[in-house]
Amino acid sequence: MRRPTLILALPALLLGASAALAHAFLDHAVPAVGSTVHQSPAEVRLRFTEAIEAALSTARVEDAAGHTVSTGPAKADAGDRQVLVVPVSALPAGSYKVFWRVLSVDTHVTTGNFRFTVAP
Amino acid sequence: MRRTHWSAAGFAVALLMLPAADASAHGFAGNRFFPATLQIDDPNVADELSLPTLTLNPPSSDQPSVEEFDISAEFSKRITENFGFSISPTWSRFSAKGSPTVSGWQNLELTPKYKVYVNEPHEFMLSVGVETELGGTGSKSIGADRVSTVTPTIYFGKGLGDLPDSWDWARPFAVTGVIGYGIPWGATNTTDGEPTTRPNTLGWGFTLQYSIPYLQGYVRDLGIGAPFNRLIAVVEFNMETALNRGGNGQTTGTISPGLIWAGQYYQVGAEMIVPVNRATGHGIGGILQLHFYLDDIFPQSIGKPIFGP
Repeated sequence: MRRPTLILALPALLLGASAALAHAFLDHAVPAVGSTVHQSPAEVRLRFTEAIEAALSTARVEDAAGHTVSTGPAKADAGDRQVLVVPVSALPAGSYKVFWRVLSVDTHVTTGNFRFTVAP
Repeated sequence: MRRTHWSAAGFAVALLMLPAADASAHGFAGNRFFPATLQIDDPNVADELSLPTLTLNPPSSDQPSVEEFDISAEFSKRITENFGFSISPTWSRFSAKGSPTVSGWQNLELTPKYKVYVNEPHEFMLSVGVETELGGTGSKSIGADRVSTVTPTIYFGKGLGDLPDSWDWARPFAVTGVIGYGIPWGATNTTDGEPTTRPNTLGWGFTLQYSIPYLQGYVRDLGIGAPFNRLIAVVEFNMETALNRGGNGQTTGTISPGLIWAGQYYQVGAEMIVPVNRATGHGIGGILQLHFYLDDIFPQSIGKPIFGP
């Protein structure tokens, strides 16, 4: 039974691997993914599961017609390297889609998009 | 099995000392992440390690019934961005009432695989590979085949994230599948001195998945918290049909419902194994797997392809 024991030894080594980084997934957003809000947000905040390279990450907001309504490039949150902030002007009622593409600090790229709705 | 002992040690050392390369893996097609499913190989080509996979197979329908327990591993390494290979050793123990328990290594399995096509907007991925069971590398004590089998195989994955908004509830679903034609490398097998003839086989199967991470990240954030926010429900249908040489079109296989928890650096999967017919077995089995994303654990070394970015 010693042979399978050898197979079982390596996982402990890997679980203990240090300084590991990973793909950045969207942890949550404000407005939330798929949500309906009753007041236009002043910005869209995207929080990821890992720290990101904000200078090499992008995000934008489009209206239902596909027109970009974000008013500038996405920027890092000054106090949190896991947060990307997209400025928007006052959004009229309607459906909006957020597109993001981020580079985690270990150079893994992930992309995504989601909708939110501004109700009157 | 001294040879195996040193092979395992060398494998572990090699894992840690391989030179740095450059790139990222993970099974993404657009927004869709295809996890490593436990029985049906996923369509991605990646740097990953399943270690261990513990399988208690459903008891066979023989009299007396034979119970098989397997401990296996699979190491997958990219050579280039889209081409890689995997190697999979399996140790098995067979027990039956009234008979001595036997154990040993199954034949080694080696699979070169190439990712042919990815359509990001439609969350589609297609790969081809050649699954090769190397005859004569396993233990005679468990009757490992002396004959190799080569199985050209097609792998695919399709997420349903491109469905219209009115179908939002279905967008977290995905399907992956395989189809392969198994050709014994020589029609006869002389294990135990008894000539036998093995048929060509059609290996086919698919998985149906529902991803909570996809639901919350791309469709609707329901506020499901950890650890449930990383769960992917999965059902695997793993089938094989014998095509000739007395196989008479007999299909055997299993249906395996379960859950995969996909973390940042590793995933854990567990499934129940249910035989589809009496020819496959009876009763219930189970499978448990720990799977590492080497591209995330070692992004600057063995998590990168050897050649390319």
